[in-house]
Amino acid sequence: MLWLEREVVATLVSPTLDDHQRAEIETYVDDSLRSMPEHLRAGMAAESILFGAWPRVQGALGHYDRGSMNARLERWKASRFDPVRQYVRLLQSLVLFAEHELTPAAS
Amino acid sequence: MMKTPEATLDADVLVIGSGAGGAATAATLAAAGRDVTVVEEGPWIDPDALEPFSLAEMAAKYRHRGLAAALGNPAIAFAEGRCVGGSTEINSGLYHRLPGALAESWRDEYAIDEFGSDTLDSYAERIENELAVSRLPGAPPPSSALLERGATKLGWQAVEYARVFRYDTAGRGVKQTMTRTLLPRAVEAGATVIPNCRVRRLVRHGGRVIGVRCERTEDGEAEDLTIRAEHVFVCAGAIQTPALLHRSGIRGGIGSGLKVHPMIKIAARFPHPVDHGGVPMQVITEFGPNLSIGGSASRRGQVAMALADSSADYREAMDNWENVSVYYAAIRSEGRGRVVALPGLRAPIVTYRLTEGDMSRLARGLVHLGEVLLASGATELYPSVADGPVVRGHDELAAWWDAVTRNRTNLMTVHLTSSVRMGEDRSRTGADSFGRVWGFDNLRVSDASLVPDAPGVNPQGTIMAIAARNSDHFLADA
Repeated sequence: MLWLEREVVATLVSPTLDDHQRAEIETYVDDSLRSMPEHLRAGMAAESILFGAWPRVQGALGHYDRGSMNARLERWKASRFDPVRQYVRLLQSLVLFAEHELTPAAS
Repeated sequence: MMKTPEATLDADVLVIGSGAGGAATAATLAAAGRDVTVVEEGPWIDPDALEPFSLAEMAAKYRHRGLAAALGNPAIAFAEGRCVGGSTEINSGLYHRLPGALAESWRDEYAIDEFGSDTLDSYAERIENELAVSRLPGAPPPSSALLERGATKLGWQAVEYARVFRYDTAGRGVKQTMTRTLLPRAVEAGATVIPNCRVRRLVRHGGRVIGVRCERTEDGEAEDLTIRAEHVFVCAGAIQTPALLHRSGIRGGIGSGLKVHPMIKIAARFPHPVDHGGVPMQVITEFGPNLSIGGSASRRGQVAMALADSSADYREAMDNWENVSVYYAAIRSEGRGRVVALPGLRAPIVTYRLTEGDMSRLARGLVHLGEVLLASGATELYPSVADGPVVRGHDELAAWWDAVTRNRTNLMTVHLTSSVRMGEDRSRTGADSFGRVWGFDNLRVSDASLVPDAPGVNPQGTIMAIAARNSDHFLADA
């Protein structure tokens, strides 16, 4: 997973889960992204780099706050641009499916 | 992974793909005494090993773990099996014959020889006996009965679909996938099945295919394998079949004309628990064949994804997820798509263009689905439309007409057909009436790709009937 993907997944995973469960979900998402058709994965990677540019700049300046990712994701989910909305939707679907399949008791 | 020196095998008939089309072809030809080899890209997995629709099953049996999509506005997510038995191992097992009126209209439109409903029905009957196609012996599960109840209240026609399930005396059903039925029968008749073997391309010589080049993986080691064959049947499904033909330099009439049944979904919350183990077998046919309404897999993970698709706050509904089940409306699309294999890419690029009429049909389907779910007692409906309002009463359904737009609608499909249409009209088809690829003596297609248009019903029965018919024609011709 690329940096932004990792940040999005970390934000989306339920805060009630322990580190082991979070790691399991992250591994599932990572494996799934690796399994995608190359052209879809390439498109997603391009989005990750593009959308992640500003947060990374903020990070370099010491202004990046992981808590702000939640608000950013809410904006992206409501975006008028389908690729932006679908970017979050895909990662959210993977996280939700893994969370409820791998850790039903905890979620 | 280490590479070992190239191995070579010989076969009389080589079948590429082991799903509904490949298994029916292999079983028919092996029973007739032909020397049949089946190659399958995915592994052979015990059909009892994994829970249906679970994460483990998706990881093991689905191509790309289920993360494929046809590009377009909107994109359409789709799923294909990648294991011995193909999509028959992962589907719901619902079975339907091709409606006679459709068969006859396709016969006329594409000039397909021997494609009357009588012919197809005789093959369908054979398949139904072989697979023990049957209806549930007892009462339907609540998720299915709810659809029936809603339809009855509205005066709509609903039917219980038959399934490829064999039931024991206690009423327990076992899905009759290809690894449980036709593939073992083919092996018993002398066929060989080679799993974990991906065909890279066909080897051509003039108007014949003389073999295939494959990559076989065993215990993490890959080896190149060449299989020489007298006859080749490509049965890899509506996406992988045209992709393989493209990789082999065969393009005329191949890959264009892809058809799907786009599905729009609702996560419906009821005031009582609903079952989550299987897929409802009741289907509302009131608006068929262009629109059908039924139920989807509704494990906890799928319920969460469906609720989230609406963008509404779904936490309270998820806390009561046992009361939520997922339903769909599927349309026969006027639009069409394309499958293109590009050099250097393992996966083909799939595109699909929905027409304005399709979008309107999807909105209508969503509203009808909402009507029947409310009639069946649902208290909250979460549509698979971003910012689509959660509906709690009939008077709120009208809002969905405007909500279903290209940029807001989340669609998926599991039925893909028509990427190598059959018929004698060479300007509109990729293969003749019996699946022989134009320009080749010994290369045939026998899977969902041949079906000339979206059938509006689960296509497994149609695919198997066509494959059995084509195999008989091959045997008579040889």
